[in-house]
Amino acid sequence: MRQLIGAAVVAGSAVAPLPLQAELNVPIAVRVVSFLQPPPSGIMPAAIVVAPGNAASLADAAAIERALGGGAAAGKATLRTKRVPVTALDSLAGYRVAFVTAGTRDDQGAIAAAAARGSVVTITSDDACVQAARCVVGIGSGARVQITVNRAAARAANARFGSAFLMLVKEI
Amino acid sequence: MTALFRRALALGAALAPLAIVSPAAAQAVDYSALEAMVGEPVTTSVIGKPQRASEVAASVTIITADQIARSPARDVPGLLKGYAGVDVNRWTAGQSDVAVRGGVQTYNARLLVLVDGRQVYLDHYGLTDWNLLGVQLEEIQQIELVRGPAAALFGFNAASGVVNIITKRGGDAASARVTAAAGDHGVTRLAGTASLPLGGGVRAKLTAGRLREDERRVPASLLAPTPIADVSADQVSGEVSARVGSGEAVVGGGYASNEQIEYLPSQLLSNQRYRSSNVHAGLTQDTAWGGVSLNGYVNWLNADYGVEGSDGRYSVGAPFENRLVAAKAAVLYRLDTANTLRVGGEYRSSRMRGPAQFAETIAYDVGSLDAMLDLHPLDRVGISAAARVDRLWLGQSGAIVQPALDDPAAFDRAFTRLSFNAALVVQTSANGRVRLNGGRGYQLPSLVSFGLRLPLAVPTPVPIVVTGSPRMRPVAVWSGELGYTHALGATRLEATAFYTHTSDAIASPGDGLEPNLELFLTPAPVLAARFAAVGDYATYGTEWQASGRVAALDWRVNYTWTQTDGDLAGTALPIPYALSPRETTPRHKANVALGYDGGRWYASGLARYTSASRQFAFSAMQQLLLFRVDDAVALDARAGYRLSRAVELFVAGENLSLAKGAAGSPIPADRRLRGGLRVTL
Repeated sequence: MRQLIGAAVVAGSAVAPLPLQAELNVPIAVRVVSFLQPPPSGIMPAAIVVAPGNAASLADAAAIERALGGGAAAGKATLRTKRVPVTALDSLAGYRVAFVTAGTRDDQGAIAAAAARGSVVTITSDDACVQAARCVVGIGSGARVQITVNRAAARAANARFGSAFLMLVKEI
Repeated sequence: MTALFRRALALGAALAPLAIVSPAAAQAVDYSALEAMVGEPVTTSVIGKPQRASEVAASVTIITADQIARSPARDVPGLLKGYAGVDVNRWTAGQSDVAVRGGVQTYNARLLVLVDGRQVYLDHYGLTDWNLLGVQLEEIQQIELVRGPAAALFGFNAASGVVNIITKRGGDAASARVTAAAGDHGVTRLAGTASLPLGGGVRAKLTAGRLREDERRVPASLLAPTPIADVSADQVSGEVSARVGSGEAVVGGGYASNEQIEYLPSQLLSNQRYRSSNVHAGLTQDTAWGGVSLNGYVNWLNADYGVEGSDGRYSVGAPFENRLVAAKAAVLYRLDTANTLRVGGEYRSSRMRGPAQFAETIAYDVGSLDAMLDLHPLDRVGISAAARVDRLWLGQSGAIVQPALDDPAAFDRAFTRLSFNAALVVQTSANGRVRLNGGRGYQLPSLVSFGLRLPLAVPTPVPIVVTGSPRMRPVAVWSGELGYTHALGATRLEATAFYTHTSDAIASPGDGLEPNLELFLTPAPVLAARFAAVGDYATYGTEWQASGRVAALDWRVNYTWTQTDGDLAGTALPIPYALSPRETTPRHKANVALGYDGGRWYASGLARYTSASRQFAFSAMQQLLLFRVDDAVALDARAGYRLSRAVELFVAGENLSLAKGAAGSPIPADRRLRGGLRVTL
């Protein structure tokens, strides 16, 4: 029996490799956007917040761009991304969504402030950013999808999600 | 104004504040989008709020649209039969019964079946006609099976479980799916569903289906009508939905018909013709604090029993008309970030009319209030508790068939029942979860068991009338279970121990009734053979399940051990009542399912082992007997080739191993092959 379970463990872990810690699960992030209320529609500009000169941040940004291609459907909306450097956060105004890349931890306070001013929903793979109420949505990097929503950050960004969505995620 | 109508108005007035205080509606749950987001199916069938399948506080199986599309099964019972804790008896080619955790019987009244929240369980006889669901496999988003009583959420008849069938919501683009198949034994099936956006958030959906297949060969040793009806089932339905902001409104209706031979609860084989239609409407509104829903529907059923000599060479027909009107309101309120409260109310009015009953109309009204609390006092601990009060008013009206075998006043009665569920879930580790849950639910006596009055066609010295009883009581079902689930990457393990106790199980008269007959002397001698509460029984056992995925291969294995205690009316000849779950429920069941999807090619297979059982049937000598059904290893398989993204060819077969006991029926199972084409646009 132990061997059987052991074999199952090996089989299970063999097929579910953990993604890199810092990499944002972009397909899930896009689906999260579709649960915003009111539901977004049309062309929806999405910022990718990057730290210039930070390799992890640039790699994460490139991965997000690759995943989204020329535009990804989020419900009735189509996301079109553009990089926004942490040195020019004022330009976040006008975006509804921003993907906060890895390697921007030092700038998360400023990102949160800019996002609140511009009512931008920030999505990240960095759980610390969500726990500190500096990002609205955190997407875990484990095999099992874990989504965390920070209520205070959401309120600050004037973001509202459908209640069905909120009952499936961890709200803090 | 009738008393029933006055009660309906009173209850409607009582429920109205719910809708006014909370001007929104139940969750407009987009199951497909939520599943895609969290990476696993989502259900609302356990506590009324959306939950991930891996987190529910009950033993739940969810069969997804992808699994349905690749399965060799061709109907809902065929899909359910490969899972733990489920007995599927395909009594005839068209008639199936699904029993959860034992209690195998024909016309199983213990399992509530819903399509998008609308009851498709038929009140007149307390059964589910799986060929009359009014839904095609092509339009199903997921099938949810909840094991154990769920009466606190769903009310009467969710006594041993619930099957909730959720249909797909149309997307933003027009889409259609058509399946055409043909096979041996006269099998032909054509089904299609189309979704069309009309602009402004308005969508229309149209579904239709047609099925024909020959009946299995009935052994000469069994009593059967002549001729035997082959299976025919037709269906058409339509729905229009509109989304405005966070709300959604749905209006729809449908028509279905079905003709087939069936085993009645008395175990007589009889040809039946059913026609059903429905209209339904619903409003849902998502709000910042939760959601509100208002739903209503009307189901109409025309059921003709004994279409062609149901009683062997004696022909007797019994038409019934059953109309069900239901209105529901529910409010789901988020107490805070983790805890929810759900409050609901429901009114149902079920009316049966026909000549083969005590009076022209037998009817009941049911008013219900329910509440469900879901609490998470700690991150790792979840507690849910639910209670529901159902108040039923029984009545009869119209001309009474003479001689009356009951005092008409006996029908003027009401009773109240309290159902409840409670569950505790503890996350024991990052991947392990223990759940302890239990509850009590009720199976309502059917309208037939309250008010049938059908003279036996068989000539006897004193006429015998099969009759219901207005004094019949709801059947109480207690249940408890202890389960553990563990996730190992993509592998999921689950073990459950369960116990279920059923009190006062209802049975229809069978054979050897002499000690139970009631004699009425005036105006002319008549003997009454009544539906009766024949005793208690208990089932207990364990379910072991494992499932996972390795690259393009998915697999699932399970084993169920079910022990049944209780003799009920006994099985010594002559058998007075055709109900003996201990004989009819197999003790051991095991399933192994494999699936492969390599892009162009896919294949799936299911191997099922079922231990031997004994099933009731009338012999050609018109004696009710228990017939042995041998243990069986049945193999089902399907393979498909996708010519393009839109076109797929497939072949499928059921019971390829030609195991006679695979159907769990006195009528041996045969092998059925089919091939077809599926077009998706």
